[in-house]
Amino acid sequence: MNNKTTYISSIILVIVLLILPFVLPEYPLHLFALCGIWIILVLSLCLLQGYIGELSMGHAAFFGIGAYSSVFMTMFGGFSFWAALPLSGIVAMIFGYLIGLVALRLRGPYFAIVTLGFAEIIRMVLVNWKDVSGGPDGIIGIPPPDSIWLPLIGQISFAGKIASYFLIYIFVAVTVYVVYRIVKSLMGYAVVSVREDLDYAECVGINTTRWKRFIFSISAFFAGLAGSLFAHYVHFISPYSFGVSESFDLVIMIIVGGTGTIIGPIIGAVLLTLLPELLHAIKDFRMLIYGAILVVIIMYAPGGIAGLLKSFSNRYFPNLTTKKGI
Amino acid sequence: MILQQLVNTVILGSNYALMAIGLTIVFGILGIVNLAHGEMFMVGAFVAFFIVAILKGNFFLALLGAMVAIAVLGVILERATFRKLRGGAEVNYFILSMGLLIVIQNAALLLFGTDPHSMSLPAAAQVIDLGVVMLTTQRLIIVATAVIIIFALHFFIKYTRMGMSMRGVEQDFEGAQTVGISINKVASFTFALSGALAGAAGALMGSLYIVQSTMGFSPLIKAFTVVVLGGLGSIMGAIVGGLILAAAEIFGGVYISSGYQEAFSFIILIIALSIKPSGLFGKK
Repeated sequence: MNNKTTYISSIILVIVLLILPFVLPEYPLHLFALCGIWIILVLSLCLLQGYIGELSMGHAAFFGIGAYSSVFMTMFGGFSFWAALPLSGIVAMIFGYLIGLVALRLRGPYFAIVTLGFAEIIRMVLVNWKDVSGGPDGIIGIPPPDSIWLPLIGQISFAGKIASYFLIYIFVAVTVYVVYRIVKSLMGYAVVSVREDLDYAECVGINTTRWKRFIFSISAFFAGLAGSLFAHYVHFISPYSFGVSESFDLVIMIIVGGTGTIIGPIIGAVLLTLLPELLHAIKDFRMLIYGAILVVIIMYAPGGIAGLLKSFSNRYFPNLTTKKGI
Repeated sequence: MILQQLVNTVILGSNYALMAIGLTIVFGILGIVNLAHGEMFMVGAFVAFFIVAILKGNFFLALLGAMVAIAVLGVILERATFRKLRGGAEVNYFILSMGLLIVIQNAALLLFGTDPHSMSLPAAAQVIDLGVVMLTTQRLIIVATAVIIIFALHFFIKYTRMGMSMRGVEQDFEGAQTVGISINKVASFTFALSGALAGAAGALMGSLYIVQSTMGFSPLIKAFTVVVLGGLGSIMGAIVGGLILAAAEIFGGVYISSGYQEAFSFIILIIALSIKPSGLFGKK
């Protein structure tokens, strides 16, 4: 897509997102807010998968760390939500850095099992450390974000859905922007260095470990933010919201949506959050259908939905695409 | 007490090894990490359960039935799905098998529900008292069967023509093709062997504990841990890794904390990989 169509479609998307909360009933709006949290999560994993090239099977752990640390800080530490939100991202980031020290030395299946291992250990600590985490029952009655006063708008309370929706989508926008900037700059970096001089690229390669740790920490940071937003939005957390199946859901979202793009995983996240709600009749078959979709996508359309859309637009609207593609 | 735990370690460890070898040969020879291996284990346990409970067969018939059925399932999965992705990135196999895991597990949930079943074998009730150690006949059968199967596999891979072809493909994929080894045959056979091992492990573990549609995931993670701990593709690594993992869980569970039993295996794994990133018996 050329710049003009990208701008026009982004503007349309933003307008739609701004109008949605005023036209949708409460429950669909709630689903869209949840979609936003999944978009932040899936983009943070997408950053990891796209730059490091490894699939994490334990990404939901950082989501959980963010959620629990935010709840500790606000409910037991007396922090305001607005301080706890960035701090819980930083706590997740510290965990990400430490886990990265071990995991980033490994590749492929080794990386996958070690990330899953760390996630399971963290989940088991949450289940067993009853005094602090509430154990398997979780923590109930988490307060909504503290109300704030903004010029022009006035006092905003986050007890309702509309304000929470906007809060979540502001962070979606921040995540999209940061991920986009990192992908752009790092890709430019790598491409230029390889093109200019291979030896130079290898020299740059020495720093790849540091870059990888940086990316892994940033990825954990955004997952932590998503956790904090989630906890104060649904008002209840338990270790079962941050398990292996959530980590797997994230991987499915990326693959079904399409790897190597930013729009792909977003499509995947929205689709997988809304699909079971739209098709109530098939609720029991939800996971069976997800699995089957995953098998079909990987066998016949490894580019995911974004890849399908791209080849579709290349074929039928060739004048929309430049030589570089989307 | 320690001796009793050691016996339990050997029983559990031999089963982990059985699962892990099935996973490791598919990786070593074909470069496929098969996450659906645990679901093959689960289906194997159900086949054994049906033979014992409904057809009133004895345990050895059930074991054989499970091995044959899952070998066939393995060949079907290889031909219908994995073969189509050959030559692509290894991560695609990984995602494919994740899809198969979800499909098989949820199909089993819909078909069999979540109720636990028990084979209630007579041998599980006979207690052998050796003074310091007590165990049931069924546990003895389990260890013996696992050891026999592992040895049989070792001799198969070492001395038969197909075994040599498999090793040839493992060492050099293209070289093996050049000398006329059929990759398709080797791939199907490897999946059949891997399936037979998963089926056997399912029947053995199913006879000891319960048979349930959700029983496959935990052994998959255990086997995966064992395989990575021992070094991907190494059979010896799978055996040693299986015993280490079983020891960590049993001794850690008894002497440290039972709530964290599952965590000990991951802690051992993380420590081992921090020291030797390719696993204990891994190449490179």
